Amino acid sequence: MTIGVLVDLMLALALVGLSLRVVTGRALFRDIVLFILFGLVIALSWSRLGAPDLALAEAAIGAGLTGALMLMAYRRLVAGGAEDVAPRRRPPLLAVPVAVLTGALVALIGLAALGVERVPDAAGTIVLEELGASGLGNAVTAVLLVFRGLDTMLEMAVLLVALLGAWAVLGEVHPGRLHQVDRRTPLVGALLTTVAPVTLLIAVHLLLAGTDAPGGAFQAGAVLTGCGVLLVLTGTVRPRAAAGLATKLLVIAGLAAFVMIGASAVALGRAPMSLPGTWAVYLIETAMMLSIAVTMTLLFARARALEPERA
Amino acid sequence: MTTEALALLVFAPLVAGLVVIAAPRRAAAPVAVAALLTLPFGLWPLTLVVWRGETVQVALAGFAPPLGIVWRVDALALTMLWLTLVVVLVVSLHALTSFPPASESGQRFWPLWLILIASVHALFVSADLFNLYVTLELVTLAGVAMIAIGGKPAAMRAAMRYLLLGLMASLFYLLATALLYGQTGTLDLYQVGERLDDGALALIALALMVTGLLVKAAIVPLHVWLPAAHGKAPGPVSAVLSALVVKVALYILIRLWFWSGGAAGGDGAALLLGLLGALAIVHGSLAAITQTRLKMLVAYSTVAQLGYVMLLFPLASTAAFRAVTFHMVAHGVAKAAMFLAAANLLHALGSDRLQRLVGADQRHGVNVLAFALAGVSIMGLPPSGGFVAKWMLLEAAWRQQGWGWVAVISLGSLLAAVYVFRVVALAFAQPKGGSVRASVGARGGGRFDTTALAALLLAVLAILLGFASAPLVALIDRGLPPGMLP
Repeated sequence: MTIGVLVDLMLALALVGLSLRVVTGRALFRDIVLFILFGLVIALSWSRLGAPDLALAEAAIGAGLTGALMLMAYRRLVAGGAEDVAPRRRPPLLAVPVAVLTGALVALIGLAALGVERVPDAAGTIVLEELGASGLGNAVTAVLLVFRGLDTMLEMAVLLVALLGAWAVLGEVHPGRLHQVDRRTPLVGALLTTVAPVTLLIAVHLLLAGTDAPGGAFQAGAVLTGCGVLLVLTGTVRPRAAAGLATKLLVIAGLAAFVMIGASAVALGRAPMSLPGTWAVYLIETAMMLSIAVTMTLLFARARALEPERA
Repeated sequence: MTTEALALLVFAPLVAGLVVIAAPRRAAAPVAVAALLTLPFGLWPLTLVVWRGETVQVALAGFAPPLGIVWRVDALALTMLWLTLVVVLVVSLHALTSFPPASESGQRFWPLWLILIASVHALFVSADLFNLYVTLELVTLAGVAMIAIGGKPAAMRAAMRYLLLGLMASLFYLLATALLYGQTGTLDLYQVGERLDDGALALIALALMVTGLLVKAAIVPLHVWLPAAHGKAPGPVSAVLSALVVKVALYILIRLWFWSGGAAGGDGAALLLGLLGALAIVHGSLAAITQTRLKMLVAYSTVAQLGYVMLLFPLASTAAFRAVTFHMVAHGVAKAAMFLAAANLLHALGSDRLQRLVGADQRHGVNVLAFALAGVSIMGLPPSGGFVAKWMLLEAAWRQQGWGWVAVISLGSLLAAVYVFRVVALAFAQPKGGSVRASVGARGGGRFDTTALAALLLAVLAILLGFASAPLVALIDRGLPPGMLP
């Protein structure tokens, strides 16, 4: 038994154990923390399965951002005096049948999948053969931007629609009513002066590396969101009542870049969504990273726009 | 020419949506109207090609499947695109008044509306399982956001429930897509159909996908989210949700079943789907009869009318395919008219409680007329589009000696007559004394504006479909599923 198998076994056990703890837990806060941990273990599992792009995305979005959103929601629940935060006595009635059915489904799929053979001319295989023609070194980025750009463009529309929906139900925003944080304390000061620039650096690195190595706009955008969340939580920025032109442009940048390049191909007599070169990949990815980061930060802050807090 | 036309259908509303977000408010109306008016020019060249019996195919970015995604327009897709065009143009006319683009509410409505149109187009032309997943997500999410747009608690609750159930359905669909890809190495609808073996894994994948789509299509007993979501949404949103958004899931289901080897599920599965449809017809109609609010009644009527589409699976004949496709168009137009009329009455009367409708014909005659005309089509009375659809469906069931289906179809029409006449009778009832006159039309009412015009236009179209059924049937016949003969 090699060390790799041992690690895999531990990851598998940890996943099952953590998910059990999350759903049977009696305290909401601990459940959230365990859920974040669960996300990290999933990220590790992806990297063990040879999918570093997924691992990065899972760590940044699944564990990081989702966790931050849940903690924020928890904070609002507590602040609102919700009684839901009190420990639950017993699981809801449907929990057991749902768990049993899900388990049975997973077992069934697992058993049935054992007999499936690898398809010789699968799309994934062709991607690796055609990778050279795309001008990119990372197969995942090539699929997302070059081979199946339409999917990614529409995913950016999904993100935009989510924000528009959140804005529609947001109601009145009272400017400057976010967090009172004393920024002179050592912890907050250190966080801001070291972590913020480092996240920025990592985000840009992930973006640029994404063309040839694991990374890309989604991971970079998620990391950049971490920077935004930090600015929100430390009270460095505060909500504004309405979104200005700059915010709107940032929010639509990713989709707009994709749409303009994808549609202009038609005007030039080429197939829709053809990219004119590697520069277009960089342009779209940069715009996407900014849109993702701004959108997610605004969703996190429950705001239409943010502005620097004048201390 | 067809490539440009296809690109126009997807990109024009999308670009307009982005411009409306970023541009000054006064630019919103001209931009939106301009984008909407270009859509017929996108649809026309496609129609010319499909009418010749050909199929339009565009490989996106020039990559053929399995590597890339293909847009593919055959007669079925084109029929749905035409339904989309008609409904969207007329409902937009309503929305220009009910959500003025320069107003606060309009600024929320129009970007979502334009993106929704683009995503419905992108869905109908897509021939790729994963791309269909993304477009279905986009359509659902835009629908959810538009239900919640008014910010009323009841609408927010309905939107939340729709969102959660819709997400669960999406996960089923996504899991199934992954399983199908694992087996076939492709995501292209038609290649999946060619390569799929009918093993256990294929059956699991198909069952998951069908379940997910049944939730999105609100087929009984997975319809619990629909009545509140469609009933509490603003008028134009209800109209497009019932006319188009639930239909997209049924469209994918039909594609999957007849084009991608879904029929491998066997006769048992087809019968089960048909029985669910029958249950939907009976349950939805009975629930509509017992409603006390107009918009909820119309929403339950949608639950019932969607059931007819499910009868296609057990019947599985050319005649049934023709009938069901026609029914999707006829119901889409009539139901959009009905929801617009109901929303107008709600707006004018201040409430959509059925009792408030007494005497509404005097002050809101146009809307009552629109509702009644749309009701004629929903009931399936001649000479409406609904009549042609139900008649063809009855004939299809009759020819196969499916007496049970014949009984269900007839019962459904009978029950539809009960709930439609209940509304119409109340609206034409004589108010007692003069007391009602004061309450009716509290907000001016009576005025013949574009909102009433939109409802009436769609209602008249729903009737005209009955007279002009020949070209539509001819179009449908040009895109029958593989193995079905005209």
